[in-house]
Amino acid sequence: MKFAVYLPPKAETGKCPALYWLSGLTCTEQNFISKSGYHQSASEHGLVVIAPDTSPRGCNIKGEDESWDFGTGAGFYVDATEDPWKTNYRMYSYVTEELPQLINANFPVDPQRMSIFGHSMGGHGALICALKNPGKYKSVSAFAPICNPVLCPWGKKAFSGYLGTDQSKWKAYDATHLVKSYPGSQLDILIDQGKDDQFLLDGQLLPDNFIAACTEKKIPVVFRLQEGYDHSYYFIATFITDHIRHHAKYLNA
Amino acid sequence: MEEESGEELGLDRSTPKDFHFYHMDLYDSEDRLHLFPEENTRMRKVVQAEMANESRGAGDGKAQRDLQEEVDELVHLYGLEDDHELGDEFVDENIPRTGVSEYPPYMMKRRDPAREQRDWRLSGEAAEAEDLGFGGWGSAGQCQDLREAYRYTHGRASEEYECYVIPEEEDEEEAADVFCVTCKTPIRAFQKVFDEHKEHEVIPLNEALESAKDEIHKNMYKLEKQIIEMENFANHLEEVFITVEENFGKQEQNFESHYNEILETLAQKYEEKIQALGEKKKEKLEALYGQLVSCGENLDTCKELMETIEEMCHEEKVDFIKDAVAMADRLGKFLKTKTDVEISAQPEFEDQTLDFSDVEQLMGSINTIPAPSAPVINPQVPNSATGSSVRVCWSLYSDDTVESYQLSYRPVQDSSPGTDQAAPSPPIIKTKEIRSCEEAVLICWESGNLNPVDSYTVELTQAESPEASGVTDSASLYRSVVGIPTCESVVQLQPGRSYIIYVRALNMGGPSVRSEPATVHTIGSYFRLNKDTCHPWLTISEDGLTAVRSERRTPARELSPSDTHFTRCVAVMGNLIPVRGHHYWEVEVDEHLDYRVGVAFADVRKQEDLGANCLSWCMRHTFASSRHKYEFLHNRTTPDIRITVPPKKIGILLDYEHSKLSFFNVDLSQHLYTFSCQLHEFVHPCFSLEKPGCLKVHNGISMPKHVTFY
Repeated sequence: MKFAVYLPPKAETGKCPALYWLSGLTCTEQNFISKSGYHQSASEHGLVVIAPDTSPRGCNIKGEDESWDFGTGAGFYVDATEDPWKTNYRMYSYVTEELPQLINANFPVDPQRMSIFGHSMGGHGALICALKNPGKYKSVSAFAPICNPVLCPWGKKAFSGYLGTDQSKWKAYDATHLVKSYPGSQLDILIDQGKDDQFLLDGQLLPDNFIAACTEKKIPVVFRLQEGYDHSYYFIATFITDHIRHHAKYLNA
Repeated sequence: MEEESGEELGLDRSTPKDFHFYHMDLYDSEDRLHLFPEENTRMRKVVQAEMANESRGAGDGKAQRDLQEEVDELVHLYGLEDDHELGDEFVDENIPRTGVSEYPPYMMKRRDPAREQRDWRLSGEAAEAEDLGFGGWGSAGQCQDLREAYRYTHGRASEEYECYVIPEEEDEEEAADVFCVTCKTPIRAFQKVFDEHKEHEVIPLNEALESAKDEIHKNMYKLEKQIIEMENFANHLEEVFITVEENFGKQEQNFESHYNEILETLAQKYEEKIQALGEKKKEKLEALYGQLVSCGENLDTCKELMETIEEMCHEEKVDFIKDAVAMADRLGKFLKTKTDVEISAQPEFEDQTLDFSDVEQLMGSINTIPAPSAPVINPQVPNSATGSSVRVCWSLYSDDTVESYQLSYRPVQDSSPGTDQAAPSPPIIKTKEIRSCEEAVLICWESGNLNPVDSYTVELTQAESPEASGVTDSASLYRSVVGIPTCESVVQLQPGRSYIIYVRALNMGGPSVRSEPATVHTIGSYFRLNKDTCHPWLTISEDGLTAVRSERRTPARELSPSDTHFTRCVAVMGNLIPVRGHHYWEVEVDEHLDYRVGVAFADVRKQEDLGANCLSWCMRHTFASSRHKYEFLHNRTTPDIRITVPPKKIGILLDYEHSKLSFFNVDLSQHLYTFSCQLHEFVHPCFSLEKPGCLKVHNGISMPKHVTFY
C-alpha cells in the first residue's frame, strides 16, 4: 500500500500531531498532496499530514477495475465481509489501526494527538472513523462527504458488493446512522459543501440527513454551503486552510 | 540508501523488509544535468576513496570548505586557470552530488552539504596539516594542500619539492618550482646549481608564494585603512567647508546690520542738525528783516517830517507858526518813540555740540558679541516626570552663537501662598463611562469646577492586586499625563495589569488635589451599552451590560427617525474604546431568543436593521417552528450556514489588524463564522432583540486560546 507523508519543519525537532486525509473515489495517494495546497497551513501549524491510497491495488480480483465507483480506487473505508473482497479490501482496519501503527513507529508523530478529514468518499470515511472510535480523533472535518451511503446509489452499490445484502451491516458504516447512537465525547465537525456540486444535486451526498441527525443528538456541526463551488480539488484548495486551522485548534491545544 | 535515510531521521530501529523509501526530491536523479560523460567512472573512484577514508569525521567538513576556497583563489590569483587538469579535478568532485554546475570550473565556490562523505582529498599528510595549526592565510597547512593538489595532478610526492636535486622526470612542464631570493625570480630547481644562481639563496616556490602573498596582504590592509581614513577626512572637510560658509554668512550679516545702524544714526543726526541750522537762520533773517522794515518806516517818517519842516520854513509867518506848533508836537511825539537800534539777531550761529554718544555706542558694539536671545522652555511633555526628576526641554529660536546653557530651578509649593488665585477643586471621574482594552484606557470626567480650568493632569499607579485601592500618594507613579485640555483622555497601558487612576485640575493657583480614584484592568475589553443609542423599547440595566426587551402592548406607532438612537431595529450600541488592535467580548443569550449581535460604525443608519447595510455586520438567530436559523448579515447578504448546536454564549472577536470579525460558540470552543470587513473607522458592538427577551454582555475577558487561531 502506498501512502504520502508530509513532515512540517517542526518535525525536525520534535513530535507533531498527525492529521489523516482520506481521498475520494478514483483517487490515489497523490491527488491530495499535489492538488490541495495544504502545505503552507500544515507547516504553519506544525502538523504531520498522512494521505493513504483509497484501496489496495493489483490484487487481481475479478471485477476490481470494472467501475470507477467500486473496487480499485473505491475502497469505501469498510472491512469487506464478502468474497472475493474480504481478504484484501479492509480499508477501515487499515486506516484506523494498521496505518497509524506504522506511522507511529516510523515517523515523528505524537500517537495521542490524531485527527482525520477527507473528501467525498473520504469524507464519509473520516466521519465514520471518528464516530466509530469516540475519543480516538481530536477533531474531524469533511469536504462534500457522502453522509448517508445507505440511501445513495454509490453507497448501495459498494455496500452490497463489500458487505452483502444485510443492511444492518451497512448501517455500521453510515455516518448518519452512527450519529444517532453516538455515545461519546464532544466532537466538533466542520463540513464544507459546494452548492454547485453535481453529486449533491444527484442525491449522492445527502448532507441534510446528517445535519438533522446531529441537530437531534446535539452533535456540534458547522455546515457551510459554498455558493458557486463544485466537487473538485479547486473547491478543496479554497477551503483547506480553514479545515487545517480547525484541526490545529484541537491538536495544538 | 536505507541506512542513509535512517541516519537523516535520526532514528534507531530495524527497517521492515518490505519498506522502501523514495525521496520526492525536487529534481529526480534522472533529471540531473550530466555535464561530464565520465561521471560514473569518477563516481566510482569517489566511492572507493570514500570507503578508504571512512574514519573521517564531520569536523573535516569545514576544513574542506576553506581548503576549496583557498585553492580556488590561489588558482585564480596566480593565473593557473589555464591549467585545466588542476581545475577539472575539483569540478568533477562536485558534480556527483549537486549535478548542476553553471560556473566555469575554476570558480567553484559551492558549499556542499554532503561534504562529509568526500574526504578523498585529505589523506595522511593533510592530517599533519591540521596539526600544524591549519586555518587562515599563510599557514603551513595551506602550503601542504596546494602541494597535495599538485601531487594529484602531477602524480608526484610532495616531498619532492623540498629537495634541490634535479628530478629525473623533469621533462613535462617548464614550470618554475623554486624561488631565488637574491634575484627575486622563480627558477627551476636545477638552475640553482648552474650559473648565476649558484651562490644565491633559494627557497621553495610555495614559501615564496606565501611570503609574497603576505607582503601584499599587509599592504592591502594598510591601503584599506588609508582609504577609510581619507574618506572620513574628506567628509569632515566637507562639513567644515559648509560650516565656514555658514559662519561667514553669520558674521557678514552681523557686521552689516551694525554698520547700517551706525550709518542711519549719523544720517539722522546730519538731517537734524541741518534742519536746526536752517531754522535758526530763518529766525535770524526774519528778525532782521522785521527790523529793517521798521527801520525803513522810521526813516520814511523822518524824511517826511523833514520835508514838511522844510516846506514849512518857506511859508508865511502866520502859517509857519501854526504848523510849527503842530510840527513840534508831532516831532516831540515822534522822537519820543523809541527807536530800537539794537540788532535783534546776531550773525553768529552758536556752537552746538552734537550728541554722538549713541553713535559711539553703536560703533563700540560692533566689536562686541551680542548676548544670545533667551531660549523658550517647551511645555512639559506627558510622561516626562517621575517622583524625583523632571525632564526639561527648551528651544532656541535665533541664530545666536551659544556656548552653554544655565538651568536653575526652585521648588514651588502645591498651594503656593501669595498667589492671587485659589487652586481648583478636584475633578470627578465618570467611572461608569470608562472604556478600555488590553492596551489603553479612555477616561472622562467632570470638571468639578464652576470656573474654567487651564488643564487637567491624569495620574496612574499600578495596583499590585485588583483590590489595592488604599494606595497612598507615595506609591510609585506609573505615569502622568499633563496639559490635557478637555475632560477626557486616552492613555496607553500594558496588557494584563490593574491600574488606579486619578485626575487633577490645574489653573494659575496650582493643581487640585487628586480626584477619587478609578480602577482599570487591562484584561480583555471593557465597554458599556450606550443608552443614548438605545431603541425606546429596550431597557438597559444600571451597570450598562444587560439589554431587556419587555412584552409590549403599545401600538407600533411610527417612531420618528433619529440620528442617535435606533428607531426600527430594536437595538443598542456599546461604547468601545476607539483603539485598534483586537477586542473580545461575549454575549449570553437564550436559545429561543431572536437576536442580532455584531458591530457597526457609529454613524450607521438607525432607521435600518443591523446587517441590512454596509455599515454593520451581525450574526442573526431566529427560532421558528422549532428550528434554529443562523445568518451572518452584511449588506443584506448572508452565507448559507447550518449550525446544529445553538450557542448560549457567543464570543465575538474584533480584529482591526486583520480586518476580521469572528463569532464563536464559547461553551464548545467552536468557531462559527468570520467576516472580512473593511474597518476604515472605529466600530462599536451592537445588539438587537427581535422578540421580547434579554441579552447580557460579558466584558473584561481575556481571549481564550481557541480564539487565537482566528
